[in-house]
Amino acid sequence: MFWRMVKGALFRQKGKMLMIAFTVALGASLAAAMLNVMLDVGDKVNQELKAYGANINVMPKGASLLDDLYGVAEDSGASDKYLKESELGDIKTIFWAFNIVDFAPYLNARVKLNSGSQEIKLVGTWFKRRLDLPTGESLETGMINMKSWWDVSGDWLTDQDENAAMMGAVVAERNDVKVGDEITVETRGRMKRLTVKGVFNAGSDEDERIYIPLRVAQELMDRDGFVSGAEVSALTTPDNELSRRAAQNPKSLSIKEWETWYCTAYVSAICYQIEEVITDSVAKPIRQVAESEGAILEKTQLLMFLITVLSLIGSALGISNLVTASVMERSREIGLLKAVGAHNSPISRLVLTEILVTAILGGVAGYFAGLGFAQIIGRSVFESAIDIKPMVIPLVAILTFAVTLAGSVPSIRFLLSLRPAEVLRGR
Amino acid sequence: MMMKKQTMYFRMITSSLIRRRSRMIVALLAVAIGATILSGLVTIYYDVPRQMGQEFRSYGANLIFTPAGDETSFTMEAVRKATDFIPNNDIMGIAPYRYETVKINEQPFTAAGVIMDEVKKTSPYWFVSGQWPQNDGEALIGQEVSDYIRLSPGDMFTVTGANSVGDSFSRDFTVLGIVQTGGIEEAFLFVSLSDLEEMAGDKGRLDVVECSVSASQAELDDIVRRIDENVEEVTPRLVKRVTRSEGAVLAKLQALVYLVTTIALLLTMICVATTMMAVVAERRKEIGLKKALGAANRSIVMEFLGEGLFLGGLGGLLGALFGFAFAQTVSLNVFGRSISFQPRLIPASMAISIIITGLACLLPVRSATDVDPAIVLRGE
Repeated sequence: MFWRMVKGALFRQKGKMLMIAFTVALGASLAAAMLNVMLDVGDKVNQELKAYGANINVMPKGASLLDDLYGVAEDSGASDKYLKESELGDIKTIFWAFNIVDFAPYLNARVKLNSGSQEIKLVGTWFKRRLDLPTGESLETGMINMKSWWDVSGDWLTDQDENAAMMGAVVAERNDVKVGDEITVETRGRMKRLTVKGVFNAGSDEDERIYIPLRVAQELMDRDGFVSGAEVSALTTPDNELSRRAAQNPKSLSIKEWETWYCTAYVSAICYQIEEVITDSVAKPIRQVAESEGAILEKTQLLMFLITVLSLIGSALGISNLVTASVMERSREIGLLKAVGAHNSPISRLVLTEILVTAILGGVAGYFAGLGFAQIIGRSVFESAIDIKPMVIPLVAILTFAVTLAGSVPSIRFLLSLRPAEVLRGR
Repeated sequence: MMMKKQTMYFRMITSSLIRRRSRMIVALLAVAIGATILSGLVTIYYDVPRQMGQEFRSYGANLIFTPAGDETSFTMEAVRKATDFIPNNDIMGIAPYRYETVKINEQPFTAAGVIMDEVKKTSPYWFVSGQWPQNDGEALIGQEVSDYIRLSPGDMFTVTGANSVGDSFSRDFTVLGIVQTGGIEEAFLFVSLSDLEEMAGDKGRLDVVECSVSASQAELDDIVRRIDENVEEVTPRLVKRVTRSEGAVLAKLQALVYLVTTIALLLTMICVATTMMAVVAERRKEIGLKKALGAANRSIVMEFLGEGLFLGGLGGLLGALFGFAFAQTVSLNVFGRSISFQPRLIPASMAISIIITGLACLLPVRSATDVDPAIVLRGE
């Protein structure tokens, strides 16, 4: 009998119940979409922030930035420290390998350009290098991905180019070199003729350098299989108290803390893991990028969180409002039921069941619509799909349930407190 | 007669609002919530680029001045002339640098003369263990320097060298802090500009000026163009790594907030409309009764529209205020800055609320007035 009444109510009042289901669906879809986007926005923005380039600098132990400053020549012996090129692929095998987005090695030299007297910095690097990893995967990495802000006139080099170079805008202008011109570089008595394939404007001191493929630089300098350092671009978690303490001295942590730190993608933990796989290396976070990323990530997440909360409160109030309105509307029916002798509890059960059945139908439809909205946002903003988090399902379910109850219970109690005669007569 | 009709009209609307208090509160609440979300999200949407833009300044300087042409330095005068072209509100910090080679224990180092307070603003990512120097005679040293000559905060060291006219100088400094950046700054030592000028002479000479300007790519390009044309002594250059990336990421963030706002608004507005429809649909009997008494469809529609107008207006006004309160909370919590109230949002949110409530009223009223009053009165 109970279920027949519920069914009767659902079908008789098709229009109204559809409206409630529709509103619940809207609310649930909003909740599902916002929660999914909110939970994924950190990863997505982190990816975007990779446009700022590398956030970790890997150098040989004992090598110093000081060499850069005074132009101490490479062959003075002072900075004759190198990393092994063959070990670089291992960066992709550390615990947080998945978070390593790109990396590129550097081999620095000082050369004389066109037999001039001034020394210019020459850098050998990977442009777009295909690496086969020990794990059987392969990846493409190098400068083209890491220096997204470079303005290149002419073309980027490829790693196969034997006799080509890219020049910074400042050196190029100072020496009156244009794209297509031929230059000679000289170091340690070796000469090499190169064609300028591209001139780039980086808006930094890189503009005063010449870039060539790593292999060519190694040949020129007779440093086969060695690099002077590498830049790594990694997805990281914003620093907190633990990671700051670890960065000072990882040994100061307790075993449990150490494990937490090691298994979280803090920039200091990733640096530590890189040092583990590359012999005699020091990995340092580039604070300008690492620190700022953390700040911006936190702000974005907080912003999205608050917007989500507002939308959730809004849709919750909206739904419970509508439910209240639709229950109030049924004062006559409830009055009649009371007049024919129904007790309060079966009446409330009846009304509640009707509304909850409607809400569940609406909620399920809304959840899937919400996934659609989330994908629209992901595709159009970040050009990649939003990860669907299973934890959103219980959240949306609880929310829908609670909101529907909150909307219907007070109004049902209000109606039950009225005297049937008054209600039926109409006010 | 005209007068009477209008008085009656208002009396009908007000009495309907007062008599059916509880339901009207439900409707008003719905409209107010919708308007709150509308004005709150729109305020945030317009505020995000500005606030985020300021956050992005933590990446440091985005515009630098270097000496023009073959010159090796420029003066503070030129910097002042150049910074006149940057709107005052947009300047986050302007840090002049002067580099000199000095010796500590007969080892050569590069000393940078800076204004510490400005450096703090243009390079907020510097990590200083110890303190930032406040006074003359105090120095900040890079991690590399500190490792190399084993200095820690509180230690004294002597800087020697030769000044611009060739006389040698010697001066004591106290290490106040050690700076870590992961970059080339770790190999410098930083003293106040006035100290360096006193030691090395040649007052007023600068090598480079770092500016942190909170402006869009186009505005920055414009600033660079104007400084380039008008100030001969300096060459302004954009730090592409910072400006380009900022533009790209900001655009994405704004697009994100835009889409989220649109979807949230759309859904909330439909929610408001369905609630209004439910509230009005309930009154089919009343409409039937009015028709039976001989009211014209037009006047019934007008009456409901009047009510909708009132609800929409009041709800919109409330919503605009609550929405601002929300946006202010968000801004204070996320960015730690307050936002200014946009008066234009009040009429906008009222207008949109009125349109939505009006439309939401019209649909059920129309369907009720179209039906024969007898059928409506008899029940479904």
